[in-house]
Amino acid sequence: MKRLTHVFAVAILGVAPVYAQNLSFVTCPVVRDTKTVPCWLAEYNGEIYYLGNQGGVAQDFYPPQLNHEVLVEGTIAEGPRVCGGVPLRPVKTSVFLEINRACYTILPIEDGIEAPERAPGRGPVSWVRSDGPSDVTLYFDFDNDFLSLHTTTAVQRIAEQFQQTKASAIEVRAFRGSLRLSNGKEMVEQPGIAGSRAARIREIIEGLGVPKASVSVILVSDVQPPNGIDDPWSRKVTLSVKK
Amino acid sequence: MKTLMKNGRALVSLSVGLVVAVTATPGQISPPPLRWIDAGTELVLQSEISFENSSGRLGILNAAGPIETKGHAFFQPLGINGRACVTCHQPANAMSLSVDAIRERWRATKGKDPLFAAIDGSDNPSAPQERESSHSLLLNRGLFRVGLPWPPVQNPTPEISVEIVRDPTGVNRDPAWGLKSAKPTISVFRRPRPAANLKYVLAPDNGVFNVKLGVLLDRDPVTGKPVSMNMMADARAATLAIQAESAYRDHQEGKGQLRPEHLNQIIAFESQVYAAQIFDISAKDLIEANGPGALGPMNLFREMAGVLNSPAKPVFLSFDRWKSDTEFRQSVARGNDIFLNRTFWVRDVAHINSIGLGNPAKRSCAVCHNAVMSGMDRAPGWVDLGTTNFPTWTEPKTWNEAGDLPVFKLTCRSEAKPHPFLGRVIYTSDPGRALITGKCADIGAITMGQFRGLAARAPYFSNGSAKNLIELVDYYDRRFDMRLTTQEKEDLVNFLRVL
Repeated sequence: MKRLTHVFAVAILGVAPVYAQNLSFVTCPVVRDTKTVPCWLAEYNGEIYYLGNQGGVAQDFYPPQLNHEVLVEGTIAEGPRVCGGVPLRPVKTSVFLEINRACYTILPIEDGIEAPERAPGRGPVSWVRSDGPSDVTLYFDFDNDFLSLHTTTAVQRIAEQFQQTKASAIEVRAFRGSLRLSNGKEMVEQPGIAGSRAARIREIIEGLGVPKASVSVILVSDVQPPNGIDDPWSRKVTLSVKK
Repeated sequence: MKTLMKNGRALVSLSVGLVVAVTATPGQISPPPLRWIDAGTELVLQSEISFENSSGRLGILNAAGPIETKGHAFFQPLGINGRACVTCHQPANAMSLSVDAIRERWRATKGKDPLFAAIDGSDNPSAPQERESSHSLLLNRGLFRVGLPWPPVQNPTPEISVEIVRDPTGVNRDPAWGLKSAKPTISVFRRPRPAANLKYVLAPDNGVFNVKLGVLLDRDPVTGKPVSMNMMADARAATLAIQAESAYRDHQEGKGQLRPEHLNQIIAFESQVYAAQIFDISAKDLIEANGPGALGPMNLFREMAGVLNSPAKPVFLSFDRWKSDTEFRQSVARGNDIFLNRTFWVRDVAHINSIGLGNPAKRSCAVCHNAVMSGMDRAPGWVDLGTTNFPTWTEPKTWNEAGDLPVFKLTCRSEAKPHPFLGRVIYTSDPGRALITGKCADIGAITMGQFRGLAARAPYFSNGSAKNLIELVDYYDRRFDMRLTTQEKEDLVNFLRVL
């Protein structure tokens, strides 16, 4: 079920094209205790994958939750196993809101299995893509309107940009995403999710002093067909400050 | 005390050594130590006062200088039931109220003290007020009735439907006061919070967001500035002014609004008063040169609020000097280390494990209790620790067993986001924040309280379920399977009691 995805290495590096395996699956997450911080794993088709370490809300990786299934969307990374699992990098995890009591596996500390040290700095953030001070795209977990620390900060910057540039409007375009799992099954977010995301963002923008009349919301009704590769980026809201 | 007041002004003063002294005017016999301040009492509260308690002595600092209570809005009855703010926020009890003090008032006044006012000092205003049993929750747990409108004012279409499963006080089914009354009300029972050290309670998190929920913080309607949302158990009042107005109406049964000069006086007093233990029967004097920098009210006054726990500035600063001191002081220092560093699996806590930290998270106490000097959460601190929700609640194992608190069955609408760890059908003795927001995910979420002056104000938790500090520590030990040793528990208790 694993698909090979053609990924072109950057030409200036003179590297031949390489192939990366993208995976998308729903499973119970597993937490592995270690001598330092716990690390999060997920099993799929008999293989254990490493998702990330326990961290804080300033990190890009928000760990899954036991008692809940998790959607894992990631790319198999080259290199040795990490914390006992094949590393997925980048990886997005979406906690399903409904409770599943079967998801409750905590693995004990085991000699030789260590959590990797966190790289210095905060690293790249997958929640937000900025295309300049007046345009930003926010990404969401599947079927979720939760605004991470990174996302709220980006919304605040847009409101500030509006005020500093004395702009006329902020356009909020909200999308509903879809995905194709590695087993071929396709999933579409719930119908109201785009509106829910837009409403939360609108509330923040207006709460930060942007006049109601200056905020326009467009709910994009078309759902982008999934391809199993770029699906995490279909769950988004774009914000544009208009002159 | 009342006799003394008839004879003239009583002076409550404190010597340099922070020993209690209530000095009478010249020619009078020295009065007994001040334990209780009645509403309407006329005295001068000196800048520094101390009060005995079972662990030692609590210090109160009036940073603005001596307070004359005569005509002062915090100390005078403003409503119709004879209560003042001080009735439920006693200096001797770290500006809260201990259950021992409550029982003593019942004994001393045969239940006639305004403290036992029917409106919320009894289990049910419709119950026969002369009976001790009608005030059982106040007398046994230190709990006042908090009646909140249902559906909530903030959300007229809540995600939750409420069924009363157990109503031992009868108030929730009472035709005049209950859920089916003319003003549908849900009554829960909660401890009064300390009206001291409030700069720490009110310091908002950095920025404008509630980082846990990804929404804006509430704002002060007067200044427009973000607020901490950490003052009340359910965060329903954004500011001291809103809280004071609400307490005037709900607890003092006042009519209309507070007069502006009264409101200002209450806020001014509450903003300058600090409370912390200053002497411990085992650790001895807690205030000493080069001693632990967090102890005592003066240090609370001096330190900056709104600071997050860090290695450079741990929550209660450093106890390192006590690591080579007396046995008891060593125990306190170990307790501080356990609080800061001993990790365990924090699991199934809504608004902690559900906000991007993972469930479970291997953390220490100080990760949630992270605000320097207070031990509160610097972010809005309402979390479902589990004290009020089945199955981790502090009550009898099941909801159909006898118990003294009400039990509600809350059912969340199918399209609502479920409570992250309890789902959509939840049995609870206090829905907490959900009574304000109407949100399923908020059921049982209670704002964490400050750690200061604990020795003066047992019992603990919002429902008064931990009679003492060992019961408090035991709850955490059970709840999170911390596997604390007897020594570790003792160290934690010793640490908490000197704060």
